Amino acid sequence: MSLIRSLGIVVLLGAPLGLLTTTSTADAAVTGNCTATASFITGTKARGPFTVDTATIGNDTIKVRRSDTVEWKGGVPAPPGTFSGFVKIDLPPLVPDVTVETWKGDSQTTENSGTKKYDLPGIVPAGVTFQVIGRHADTNGVCSGVVDVEIEGGPFDSPLTAVSLVGTVVTAAGSAGAVRPLFRRVRS
Amino acid sequence: MKIGRIVITGVLCLRLFGFIALDLMFFGVVSLNSAVLTILPLIGLVLGGVLGAVASTRGSA
Repeated sequence: MSLIRSLGIVVLLGAPLGLLTTTSTADAAVTGNCTATASFITGTKARGPFTVDTATIGNDTIKVRRSDTVEWKGGVPAPPGTFSGFVKIDLPPLVPDVTVETWKGDSQTTENSGTKKYDLPGIVPAGVTFQVIGRHADTNGVCSGVVDVEIEGGPFDSPLTAVSLVGTVVTAAGSAGAVRPLFRRVRS
Repeated sequence: MKIGRIVITGVLCLRLFGFIALDLMFFGVVSLNSAVLTILPLIGLVLGGVLGAVASTRGSA
């Protein structure tokens, strides 16, 4: 086996595995004096209806249904005055984050609540950890939080998984064809 | 050295490593915000370019 062939195999297999060992999901964490709860009315198949509370969330990954109704409640310790905030989904470097919700205004109310229905499309992958980031700023200070969220289900719930697997096989065959001269024996 | 082979191999490996990154994400090996999803295709591009360059010299030898 030639040096180039050995090196190619080591790099092809080793680079992705080496990268995987350095990746990790950030822990769920909430800083500041805000409080928030979200009750998922239908809940997951495994747990049924459940409530998420920022005070007790810890580092758990929250599994949710693809579609559900959420009763939410948020509060701050003192009248906020001018306020603003956002909730967004963190995406890989160089890819812009997806903003789910933004708010801003001027108020003296310390609590707010509501009900929101959501229905995520089938192409959103299940079983993949999303990092949801929230931030609220008002005249009393800033509070922020990071929560790991996962849609209940398996990889083949999304049609994109099959597309990706077929794409992998097709491009692997193409790449092998392009570098085929590397695997030819050199005649002396 | 053929520039065409370098470019084609680079683009093919970019796509291959991109699909591998997506597979890893869909099967829950890496999270949606993982740097692996960005870095892996770039590694594929560079690696493909290098392998294409070597292959073009071997092919014309």
